[in-house]
Amino acid sequence: MADVTHSVSVFEQIRLVAGLRWRILRNSLRKKNNRLDLIGLIFTGVFGGIMVLGLCIAFYAGAYASFSQSRLEWMALLFWAIFLFWQIFPVLVAGFGANFAFRTLLRFPLSLRAFYIIGLAYGFADFSALASVCWLLAMTAGATVAKPGVLPAMLLIGAMFMLVNVTLERLIGSWLERLLARRRARELFLGLFVLSMISLNFINPLMQRYGASARPAFLRLLPYFAWFPPSLAGHALAAITRLQPARFLLSSSLLLLYLVLFSALLWRRFAAQYRGEELSETAAPARAAVRPTAARDDGPDRLSLLSPPVAAIVRKEFRYLTRNGFALLALLMPPLVILVFSMNSAGWHLTAGGRGVSAEMFFPGMMAYLILILMAPAYNSFAYEGRGIQTYFTAPLRFRDVFLGKNLMLVSVLSVEIALSLAMLAWRVGLPSAHMLVATCAAVIFTIVGQLTVANWSSITFPRKMEFGQMRGQRQSGMAVLVAFASQILMGGISAVILFTGNWTGNLWLPAEAFALLAAAAVGGYFASLDALSRLAEKRKEVLIEALCR
Amino acid sequence: MPEMAIQTQKLTRRFGNLIAVDGIDLQVTAGQFFGFLGPNGAGKSTTIKILTGLLAPTSGSMQLLGVDFAANPVEVKRQIGVVPEGMGLFERLTGSEYLKFVGRMYGLDRATTQRRSEELLDFMQLADRPTTMIADYSHGMQKKLALAAAVIHGPRILFLDEPFEGVDALAAGALKALLARMTERGTTIFLTSHVLEIVERLCSHVAIIHKGRLVAQGSLEELRTGISGEAGNKTTLEQIFLSIVGQGGTERPQLEELSWLM
Repeated sequence: MADVTHSVSVFEQIRLVAGLRWRILRNSLRKKNNRLDLIGLIFTGVFGGIMVLGLCIAFYAGAYASFSQSRLEWMALLFWAIFLFWQIFPVLVAGFGANFAFRTLLRFPLSLRAFYIIGLAYGFADFSALASVCWLLAMTAGATVAKPGVLPAMLLIGAMFMLVNVTLERLIGSWLERLLARRRARELFLGLFVLSMISLNFINPLMQRYGASARPAFLRLLPYFAWFPPSLAGHALAAITRLQPARFLLSSSLLLLYLVLFSALLWRRFAAQYRGEELSETAAPARAAVRPTAARDDGPDRLSLLSPPVAAIVRKEFRYLTRNGFALLALLMPPLVILVFSMNSAGWHLTAGGRGVSAEMFFPGMMAYLILILMAPAYNSFAYEGRGIQTYFTAPLRFRDVFLGKNLMLVSVLSVEIALSLAMLAWRVGLPSAHMLVATCAAVIFTIVGQLTVANWSSITFPRKMEFGQMRGQRQSGMAVLVAFASQILMGGISAVILFTGNWTGNLWLPAEAFALLAAAAVGGYFASLDALSRLAEKRKEVLIEALCR
Repeated sequence: MPEMAIQTQKLTRRFGNLIAVDGIDLQVTAGQFFGFLGPNGAGKSTTIKILTGLLAPTSGSMQLLGVDFAANPVEVKRQIGVVPEGMGLFERLTGSEYLKFVGRMYGLDRATTQRRSEELLDFMQLADRPTTMIADYSHGMQKKLALAAAVIHGPRILFLDEPFEGVDALAAGALKALLARMTERGTTIFLTSHVLEIVERLCSHVAIIHKGRLVAQGSLEELRTGISGEAGNKTTLEQIFLSIVGQGGTERPQLEELSWLM
């Protein structure tokens, strides 16, 4: 008879899981690509750190001013800022979250209590949580320096507020996980999400138009916000400072009630997961499909000018684009952004009011913005291939055909986007002068084709798999992000200098001529690079396959 | 002299200090149904990846149908079909779209690709899900589609890494019949499988790899004779395999060491 193991304490289980996380990280660093990825992440982390630190100072100053000037209602605002960031940021940038599925731990004899605590602890591993805790500490420091006696209350309320936030964030995450367990639901959600993000851009113009009439309604709603955790935290601190123990007790009790409520709900969700709630994407029972009597042909080949492999890749890329809700909706962004920007800051109709930007500046600026958005995915262009990447290496083709197919598709999409945006510009702002139009168009060719060469290199050097319509764990390689960043800054910098050279020298056609030369060089360089990149792809095929077939 | 489908000389692949494939010399004649066996981690998948161009050898050379792979990879790839480990499917295409994509990648014209896609989908019993994306296929359906894609261009050598894993008995029977027919018509099939009964039933020739080295190669009859010393004996492939790889039991896990489990 086999031995029966004894139970392991919650602390020991948490220690084991922490050790597991550490070993996963350490082992992943054995691979060069992962090390480079970490370096890239550290670089981007430094920017995040600077932002957190800067806001720490702001929260410190806010809390200090609030207590020293007896403007205690400001504390609620600070709590609201942290609350909104903590709850919304993980949904917006889910990719930064820990992508280790802690539910896999369920195969081990883990107690529900340990599972709950570990689940909660994971909530603190998010960037939003770490940043928010830093800001809460900064607020505590600011409040204590201004009024030392408030420290115990600040610590108590801060701890409760922190627990309310982490519990709620985990609860929302767990609900979302349940809601988005199915691929179609995920894609639908992402579509709605992108649309809502786009809609946010309309807030300013709407506020300008309807702000005055909406204000009374908003003011009527304001008192109800007092019953939410951030306001309660602020009110509790204000009450204790004003020596109103009853109000302090009421506010802190309500905050505690929130904590209990959220904890109970989260416990319920985790308990369901613990019992083995099935969220996997098993195929739904298929309806008996009727076999079509005659198979549909694709019709005449519209890509007959291309070689069959390149045409096949273009077709496949197009199908992938139409099935990637997120990527497809992202294409709506540029024309809409131009519409929004033109409503906010440009256009002939606003220039009269002295607030507009001329088409001379708006046109190149918008084109640069458009390229910035649309070129970003090209730096990890194999992200969605998955195991299919092997087909490119087993099929009888040179890898240059793969690049050509993918790049051709991207250039086609960019052309459509640029044409749409140009039409939007012409309607909203008007066209710039001929020399600026030609210079910008040549600059567009130069920056796109120039970037394509770098992006192709980046795609085979720093590949990272991504899943359609998935939110958690979706992150580009840190190095690919850095390469894209550096490349775009370089191209943008060169273009800006050349554009301004025209003004400085007084030769308005000089930028157009310079960009035409650069564009020709970029096109030449692109074609010259294809064979070298094909050889590199062949050399790096193992890394590529390993990264994408996980 | 029979035409050689696969020939390797001192084929070696290292991963750091680990020698996954250690100087193997394979010889597979055209039209053979060739089983490539070995215990876990022996180097089977690494060998098949090298032979299909998914992995570069550290040293050594190989010729497929007499063409040097390193010198002319595109020409070699035109002649071979592969079901790689993990199947290598583009999961966001439908089965029909994927087959058309692969057909065009191998240079088939549109009409031929269209016709063969339909026939293969019918044969693999995948035709009744025309709008279903591969991501929504079951594992067995994906395996059948990967097989269909591997044969759409009529390859002269077919590399199959665990082709029957997850495929139901009905489909497996039809596939085996198809593969047998292909070998009759001259296609060479190079197959790895952990199910020795399948290999024994299908393959005429077998090679066994162990710790990266080729430890046995020949027809089943030759291997049986080699083991028992007499021709025409009834030794099973499992017995041959265990006798060669397990060295008569010395390398088999010793159950006594797990006494706490019993």
